[in-house]
Amino acid sequence: MATCYAAGAFASLLAAWSGRLALVVGHIAAFAGAVVGIAVSLGILLGDPVPTLTLQLPTLFPFARLSLAVDGLSAYFLLVISLVAVAATLYGPAYLQAHSPEAGPGRRATQVLALNVFLACMVFLCCAGDALSFILCWEGMTLASYVLVVSDDTDGENARAGLLYMIMTHAGTAMLLVSFLALTERAGAFDFAALRTAASGLDDSARTALFFMALVGFATKAGVVPLHVWLPRAHPAAPSHVSALMSGVMLKVAIYGILRFGFDLLAPALEPLPSSWGWTILVLGTASAVLGVLYALQQHDLKRLLAFHSVENIGIILIGVGLAMIVWRREEVGGTLATLALTAALLHTVNHAAFKGLLFLGAGSILCRTHVRNMEELGGLARHMPWTAGLFLLGAVAISALPPLNGFVSEWLTFQAILGGASIFHGPSGLVIVVSAALLALTGGLAAACFVKAFGVTFLGRPRTPHAEHATEVPFSMIAGMAWLAVLCVFLGVAPGYAMRLLDAPTVGILHGYGASAVVTAHGPLVLSTALTLPGVMKGTAISMTMLALLLLALLPIAWFLRRGLRPYPVRTEPTWTCGMSPTARFDYTATAFAKPLSLVFATLYRPRHEVIRETAGSPYIIKRIHYSGEVVDLAETQIYHRVQHGITALSKAIRDNSTGRIHGYIGFVLGALFLALLVFGGGQR
Amino acid sequence: MTGDKPLEIVLLEMFLLVLLGPLVTGFIQKLKARFQSRRGAGVLQPYRDLVKLLNKGSVQADTASGFFRSIPVLVLATTVAAGALVPVVQAGPPAFPLGDALMLLGLLSLARFLTAVGALDAGGAFGGMGASREMTIAPLVEPVLMMVVFSTALAHGTTELGILAEQRGASWILTWRAADFLGFAAMLVLLPAETGRIPVDNPDTHLELTMLHEGMLLEHSGPGLGCMMLASHTRQIVTLGLAAALFFPIGLEDAGVIGLLLGTLSFVAKILVLAAYLAVIESSYAKLRLFQVPQYLGIGFVCALMSLALRIL
Repeated sequence: MATCYAAGAFASLLAAWSGRLALVVGHIAAFAGAVVGIAVSLGILLGDPVPTLTLQLPTLFPFARLSLAVDGLSAYFLLVISLVAVAATLYGPAYLQAHSPEAGPGRRATQVLALNVFLACMVFLCCAGDALSFILCWEGMTLASYVLVVSDDTDGENARAGLLYMIMTHAGTAMLLVSFLALTERAGAFDFAALRTAASGLDDSARTALFFMALVGFATKAGVVPLHVWLPRAHPAAPSHVSALMSGVMLKVAIYGILRFGFDLLAPALEPLPSSWGWTILVLGTASAVLGVLYALQQHDLKRLLAFHSVENIGIILIGVGLAMIVWRREEVGGTLATLALTAALLHTVNHAAFKGLLFLGAGSILCRTHVRNMEELGGLARHMPWTAGLFLLGAVAISALPPLNGFVSEWLTFQAILGGASIFHGPSGLVIVVSAALLALTGGLAAACFVKAFGVTFLGRPRTPHAEHATEVPFSMIAGMAWLAVLCVFLGVAPGYAMRLLDAPTVGILHGYGASAVVTAHGPLVLSTALTLPGVMKGTAISMTMLALLLLALLPIAWFLRRGLRPYPVRTEPTWTCGMSPTARFDYTATAFAKPLSLVFATLYRPRHEVIRETAGSPYIIKRIHYSGEVVDLAETQIYHRVQHGITALSKAIRDNSTGRIHGYIGFVLGALFLALLVFGGGQR
Repeated sequence: MTGDKPLEIVLLEMFLLVLLGPLVTGFIQKLKARFQSRRGAGVLQPYRDLVKLLNKGSVQADTASGFFRSIPVLVLATTVAAGALVPVVQAGPPAFPLGDALMLLGLLSLARFLTAVGALDAGGAFGGMGASREMTIAPLVEPVLMMVVFSTALAHGTTELGILAEQRGASWILTWRAADFLGFAAMLVLLPAETGRIPVDNPDTHLELTMLHEGMLLEHSGPGLGCMMLASHTRQIVTLGLAAALFFPIGLEDAGVIGLLLGTLSFVAKILVLAAYLAVIESSYAKLRLFQVPQYLGIGFVCALMSLALRIL
């Protein structure tokens, strides 16, 4: 695997000879790496007992030994990464060639190199067996994706997005680093086994402090509200197959980090986790889910809309994770509830990777054919790009959590876990769980509204600009990349029971209790059930996605028979009735108009601003032109970040005003600070 | 968890729902006409409309894409499949699990999603307007409906409607608690919204100021429109059936031919009572302005939340 990614990285050197060759060879190498990754992870996940792969790396640093340790959880995330990487690498070469044919070999080399480094870092981060390689890969992943974000073109917008991304994630990484270093200092070594031992001796408050510091680091990367502001800027800026990887996979690496820290490294030996952890994550997850989808609804840039949906889906995953943390080792239902919640979270991880990858690739296909990201300038693409349209619609149904596709399955499991939690906890904590259920339901409905808008405005109706009118279908390799993810969506939706076997190793590995298939597929792989065994409280529910899909399949021909009508009249086509005027594209509903009622309903959260300028000719009744501009603000951005920014600006202004500019004064400050530090912290060791 | 209700009964119930769907609409129309001192069309009028539509040819907008023709097929199949999940004549889980209340709501929203997509396809402003409004109201209705389901589910530990009906059947209205009453109140608020009736939507008009659901059907014609109409009749009876299964699961206990007949009769009676409720509401209220609908639904939300809170505390 490493060889493949390294080969891909070196292939970028070919760019000196031919940019196109570098592109193809580099992506083929990454594709091979992803296939090997799938094979390795499947080998581990299906093994019985689950083997733990450990590998000592050559000593690079005198103070630490680097190692890889692949257990069930690592293998599962390795699988998720590799599944999306297969699609992205299939899609990549044709996309880059079509989107920016004028790019020189230098830019191609950078893109191929960064893509391979990015993939390799994500893969090895999940397999890391010690803190140092974890941090190194984490940093490599950030830097490589930064390069990809700013690589796309020379637009100042992308550079700003990249800068914000760098600042936010590095602030997060700093917190993560503190947490790691505090642990390694106690352990005296970097490998995870030593960290585990060191953490078992911690008292509760230190444990919680370390966890929350790490959580800030991971939450920044995952784009949890209110740390999400970089995400909707940086993700759309990258080339689309990289956006698919960043949204579908890189955020999941942060989820992996939270799971690894919360359930493994920092977990107490036998007691339940401190209750503040789970509740915080549950509340953060719920907030991210609702706010993510609400802001997505008001976006008219297709890729930005998708990026906001990533915030939403990370929220849904975190609801599952939070519930699992709350009930782990705490309740009497024999541990099945924790397994159920974690299964929901992990399943949503792979589901989101599949449909978000698919949607970003679909958006990329539109982008490379029309060079337009704004939905208002598109329209009518379904007739020119039928494959892309069909696959995008499939992804839209999946992400809206509608049966019979995969999004529904993991949300169903999340709902069942929430119900199980609500039947255990009473009083205010139960109410929090129930409210999060209601908000999750709201999220699903809003996501459906959002994707009716996204699909309808982009693909249906009349083309609004010549860009959209002259679009053509994308080449086969790009469709193949999308189709692979669509197949995953359908498979995980129609026969999710068969995927549960893969979730056994991670759930058993970190919960040390029941495996996913023992709980969810207790009645065979065709039935999903919630085998909750607490007598009298939860009896459990069973559904069968497979049977439902069969029922739908059986009903379709009957409905089709009715649709054909009882008499064989030919179908006439006529222009749409527009009250007697000749129809133009301006009669089509726009994205702004579509989302307007919801923006008024949720006006408190949006604080919508709009401005109408009328140009009149002579009389106020004769209007020559109307200019409309509207804007919706991100509450986190205005309420938190702008204030922080003002604070920092004011502080630096105050400092500048009081600076004398003489070097003696500064040296005096430094010495004073050193003296103080020695006075406070130096007394500990003799 | 797997019960003994054979698959034939499930399919029978599904077709019963599809068959009775237009009758419920006809009944409501007739009742409304009587309230307005008109004689009104016969209760079988919706069936005649359907047959007429299926015998017609169809006209399609020239801007519509390939999806447009398959939208009625998908919508009808999805709605009918939702009908298979409602216990109609017999309670208890089916022999092979199919779906629960969440799946039912999911299928209904899939049908709505596809309808809205179809509405945007023709490229007229009316379709877009209908779709936009429908997708504004739907995300507000669905969570509340789900909370009502949760409230009942928490008391009985499952979201499978068959088991819910079975367990509540034994302990019907005598053991209703405050939470049940509040849940039922929320359901009563939601029923007009989910079935697309006054005060939320007006099924009788194609005027652009008042319509939600009908606006989305404007571009369909002939057999396609017939499928969409059949789907909305089915959706209505499925929603009423959900309310009946959650709150009045009586007469569903017995198996055998007599039991099935009894179940059918009691189901028809329950549905007619709920349909009469819809007709009364529709005749005595005016349609709300679109932006007052969230406040109206807020009543339902508060009832549902209180009902849930009472279950938990």
